[in-house]
Amino acid sequence: MFLALKEIKKEKVRSALIISMIVLIGYLIFMLTSLALGLAQQNTDAINSWDAKRITLNSNANVDMRQSFLTKKQVGNLSKQEALIGETSAVAKADSHKQLSAIFIGLNASQFIYQNLDVTAGRKVHDNHEVVVDTAFKTEGYKLGSTFKLNDDNRNYKIVGFTQNAKLNIAPVVYGQMSDWRTLRNITAGPIGSAVISQNANYNNDTSGAKTYSKQHVIDKLPGYQAQNMTFLMMIGFLMVISLIIIAVFLYILTLQKLPNYAVLRAQGVPSKMLVGATLSQSVLLVIGGLVVATALTVVTAWVIPSCVPIAFDVPALSGVGIGLIVMAMIGSLIPIKSVLNVDPVSVIGG
Amino acid sequence: MSSFSVKNVNQIFGTGTAQVQALHDVNFEAEPGTLSLIMGPSGSGKSTFLTIAGGLLTPTSGTVEVNGISYTDRSKKERDALRLDSIGFVLQAYHLLPYLTVADQFKLVDKVKPKENLSKAELDSVLDTLGIKKLLNKYPGELSGGQQQRVAIARALYPNPAIILADEPTAALDSPRVAIVGGLLKDLAVQHHKAVVVVTHDERLLDSADHLYEIRDGYLTKKKMVKP
Repeated sequence: MFLALKEIKKEKVRSALIISMIVLIGYLIFMLTSLALGLAQQNTDAINSWDAKRITLNSNANVDMRQSFLTKKQVGNLSKQEALIGETSAVAKADSHKQLSAIFIGLNASQFIYQNLDVTAGRKVHDNHEVVVDTAFKTEGYKLGSTFKLNDDNRNYKIVGFTQNAKLNIAPVVYGQMSDWRTLRNITAGPIGSAVISQNANYNNDTSGAKTYSKQHVIDKLPGYQAQNMTFLMMIGFLMVISLIIIAVFLYILTLQKLPNYAVLRAQGVPSKMLVGATLSQSVLLVIGGLVVATALTVVTAWVIPSCVPIAFDVPALSGVGIGLIVMAMIGSLIPIKSVLNVDPVSVIGG
Repeated sequence: MSSFSVKNVNQIFGTGTAQVQALHDVNFEAEPGTLSLIMGPSGSGKSTFLTIAGGLLTPTSGTVEVNGISYTDRSKKERDALRLDSIGFVLQAYHLLPYLTVADQFKLVDKVKPKENLSKAELDSVLDTLGIKKLLNKYPGELSGGQQQRVAIARALYPNPAIILADEPTAALDSPRVAIVGGLLKDLAVQHHKAVVVVTHDERLLDSADHLYEIRDGYLTKKKMVKP
C-alpha cells in the first residue's frame, strides 16, 4: 500500500489518466446496469405489485397473458389467494394528447388484486368505463377526471385514480372492470378472463386447456424480456472484460518500467510479496478512485435524468457491479504480478 | 572470525559442450573496517562472484558465510531475509524508486525491516557525511547522478548490514568524483565498521582500498597492495 500510494501521489497525471478510464467504464456500467434494471422493472412492475407466485394461462397461449383466454370451467373455483384478470393491449387516445400504448387489465372488485391496489391519487374503479392508470399518464398530461378512448371503443374512459409502478412490458397499465375488458376484446360469450393470478406458491390448475406456471416463467416469456436482459448482460460483461484488459495493460506497462527498480529492491532483500502487494493495491486503489467518481457522476445523473427514462438506481445491484469491477482489476493485475514475481535480481549485477 | 567469507566456491554454467566454469575454487574473506577491491577485466567472473557473494545465486559448490551464517543451503526466502539484514548493495545502476522521495527510500526499508536499522541520529550523521541531508524531500529525478549515487549508498547502509557489496560504483565517473566515492566507501568501512567489498575494473579506487584481489578467468588471487 505504501508504494502504491506514493506512486499514485507522484505520478498524478498517469494515475489520473487510468482513473479517468475507470470512471468512464464504471459510469457506463453503472448507467447500463441501471437502465437494464429500470427496463426489467417496467416489464414486470405490475406482476410484482400483485405479489404473484403462480399464473394460470390457456395452454395454447405460448405463456403470453395477452394471448390467453380462460373459460369459466378452466378458471374453476378461486380462493381468496387467486384473482382473475383480463389483459389486452390498448391504445389511449384523447384530444390534445398523443396516442399512448398501454395494457388494459380488467379486475374483479371482489378479488385481491383490486382490493390491494395501491391508489396514490383519486379512488378505485367503481363503475364501467372508470379506470385507475399508471402515473405515466400523469407525465403525459392526464389528470384525475381526464377521459380518453381505448382502441375502437367509442365511449370515453374516465381516470378516477392513479397508481405507481403499474407497468407491464414497459407499457403503463390501465386498470378497469372485467366487463370493459370483454368490451375491448369484443367478447360476448365464452372466455371470462385471460389469467388467474395466485399468491399461493403451491397453486396448480391443470384443467383441460389450462396450464399453471411460476411467475418467473411467465416473466421470462414476456415479449423481448429475455433478449433485452441478455443484451444488457452481454454489454455489461464486455465492459467488465474491457476494464480488466485496461487495468492489465496499464499496470503491465507501468510495472515493466519499474522492473529494474524492483530488481534492485529484490537484490537488497525486499520480499516479492511486498512488490506484489504494491501492484495489487495500486490496481485496487485506482479502480476504487475511478468508482468513487463514477458513483458521483451516477448520483448526479439520477438527479437530473428525466423521469420518462426507464432507469432504476439500485444500490445493492450497483454495489455488486462495483465489487465486480474491483475483482476484475485484481484479476487484471495478475499479469503484471507475474512479471514482478519473475524479476531476476541478478540482472542488476554487472551493470 | 571474518564478517564475510567465501570458501571453495565453484560456479559452472550450462552443460555438455556449452559448459562454462565461471569461478574456480574461489576463497575470499573480508574483515569489518576494511575495504577490499576485486579487480579484473570484463568476463573474468567479477559479476558472478558478486552475485554469489550477495546470495543472489547458489554456487555449484562451496559456501558463503556472513557473520558465521552460511546461506548457500538456505531457501530463497531465507536468503532474502539474510540479504536484507546483512548485505548492503551499492549498484552501478542506482535505480532509486522514482516515485519515492529520499526520505521515503528509507521509510521503505523500515516497512520491510522495522528493527535494527540505523537510528535517526545515525542516519542524520550518514546523510550529513554524504552531503544529502538537505535532499530528503527531493525525488530521484530532481537529483544529479552523484547525488543519486550517494542516496543509494545511504540506502544500502541504512539497514545496518555487516557487509557492503559495491558493483562498479565509479563507472562513468570522472576522477574527482571517483576520489569522492572511494572516500565514501572507505568511510563506510572505517567509521561504520563494515566489511566493504568493491568489484570494479577502475584502478583509480586503489587509493581507498585495504586489500586488493584480482580475478581472471574465474580464478581469484590476493595481490600485494602497492599504492601509487
